[in-house]
Amino acid sequence: MEDEKKMTNKVLKVNDNDVVKSTNEFLRQLLASGKIQALLVQQSTSSKKVAFPVLISDSKKLQADIAAPVLPVSTASIVSKITKVQPPAKPIGVVMRPCQIRALIELVKLNQASLSNIVIIGVDCPGTFPINTYSEFPEKLTPTQFLLETLTKHSDEAKKYLRSSCKICKDPIPTHADIVLGFYGADIQKEIIVEAHSDVGKDLVKELPLEDEKEGKGREKAVKEIREEKNKKRAAFLKEKEEIKGIEKIAEFFDTCVNCHNCRQACPICYCKECLFDSSVFDAEAYKFIRKANVKGLFKMPPDALLFQLGRMNHMILSCVECGLCEQACPNNIPLMDVFIPVAENAQKEFDYYPGKDTAEKIPMIVYREDEFLEVGEK
Amino acid sequence: MNEEKKDHKKEGFEPKIVGFLCNWCSYAGADLAGTSRIQYPPNVRIIRVMCSGSVDSMYILRALLEGADGVFVGGCHPGDCHYIDGNYKARRRMVLLENILGTLGLEKERVWLRWISASEGQKFADTMKEMTEAIQKLGPNPIAKHWNL
Repeated sequence: MEDEKKMTNKVLKVNDNDVVKSTNEFLRQLLASGKIQALLVQQSTSSKKVAFPVLISDSKKLQADIAAPVLPVSTASIVSKITKVQPPAKPIGVVMRPCQIRALIELVKLNQASLSNIVIIGVDCPGTFPINTYSEFPEKLTPTQFLLETLTKHSDEAKKYLRSSCKICKDPIPTHADIVLGFYGADIQKEIIVEAHSDVGKDLVKELPLEDEKEGKGREKAVKEIREEKNKKRAAFLKEKEEIKGIEKIAEFFDTCVNCHNCRQACPICYCKECLFDSSVFDAEAYKFIRKANVKGLFKMPPDALLFQLGRMNHMILSCVECGLCEQACPNNIPLMDVFIPVAENAQKEFDYYPGKDTAEKIPMIVYREDEFLEVGEK
Repeated sequence: MNEEKKDHKKEGFEPKIVGFLCNWCSYAGADLAGTSRIQYPPNVRIIRVMCSGSVDSMYILRALLEGADGVFVGGCHPGDCHYIDGNYKARRRMVLLENILGTLGLEKERVWLRWISASEGQKFADTMKEMTEAIQKLGPNPIAKHWNL
């Protein structure tokens, strides 16, 4: 984890009130310095309908939009894809949102990604809009401009458009990053905060044209405020969703699930090459289907839709970073987070586990203590 | 609810219990109960597994969703696992599963984890009796009647 005392704080001047252009220039210089061989960063597509992560090695072609409020795919899964077979020989910079950094840490623990030669550039996350309504924004402003404007004005206008998981984000400030680009606590019309949390990070930013921070207090206070605000909202959400319990309500909740497994596909934690639910485990002879029908008189097809949801939950919930990509992927708009976040909260508390905090911390299901949970099992 | 007031035992409710027994201890314990001719309720349907740690909670969930009234998982005593620590891991899984059972609104008393060694035939029989009676008190699994899962 980062050592707060060793951290160096700088500010990046924002020219012409254009955060996108100024951060792009910062990243361009970083890439051009040759200290990193490539950069994974989101860039608006030519249709402007969405911003996707690109792996870019040519600094001249960089048109990064780090503030574009959309998360089409899990960046953590992409870093896993790049590093799983063999990590890079020279550093790659990866620009990530806080939830995706947390997911990446979980993937590292699951041996599905490597942080070797990966420089994490974390960005303060004011939240993202759902991918399917993202392109509907531009009346006069792009989604990025709209979001940044509400940030400067401290207005709540953008908040109602956010994805539900972003509204109640667990932590919108990047942790475990080498470099943090901060919006909170800065007057983003003029500057952006650049924090270097590691030696690698410090080395990368030291030759870039940054200015020393005049007063560090504003950042600390703003970070504390936004964390408190999100925490409060999350607590209210947990309380509100408490009532989705019991077989009647759960069956109703998942009623429109067509068992397409899109949620699993989008989830950064669901990494299994072959999911149990795609395997032949559930294949059976016709007479077994008939036998099952005989038990209840009838049953819904395709079978095991709820079992898939609960089984997936059981497999990934301790590592759930609450990015909400499962919910965004659902073709029938099932608000999955309403059920998954409360279970994640309780289960993670039970094991005193905070996913994405530290690579040294082990996944709860692979460790144990002899003297724990004595009330489970023998009474 | 009215159902809670009913005495399921008097109504002749015979619960269906799925039992996952580890090959090295609990299954041998059940075997001993049989060869020693110890009587125990026939409500449990035994499935032999290699280790209590190999019982993915998925199996337990599936049994319950398909209408089993209870699930029993039997493993070696702590410290005695044939695979050193499988039963400790089974215990952690059970803690996680209890959270999901809570969401489903199922009593966690429907899923039992017990340590039964190969020499404890009597204990196996006693545990089965105890569990059958406990589930009879709880009544049938409320999920059993749902077809739209």
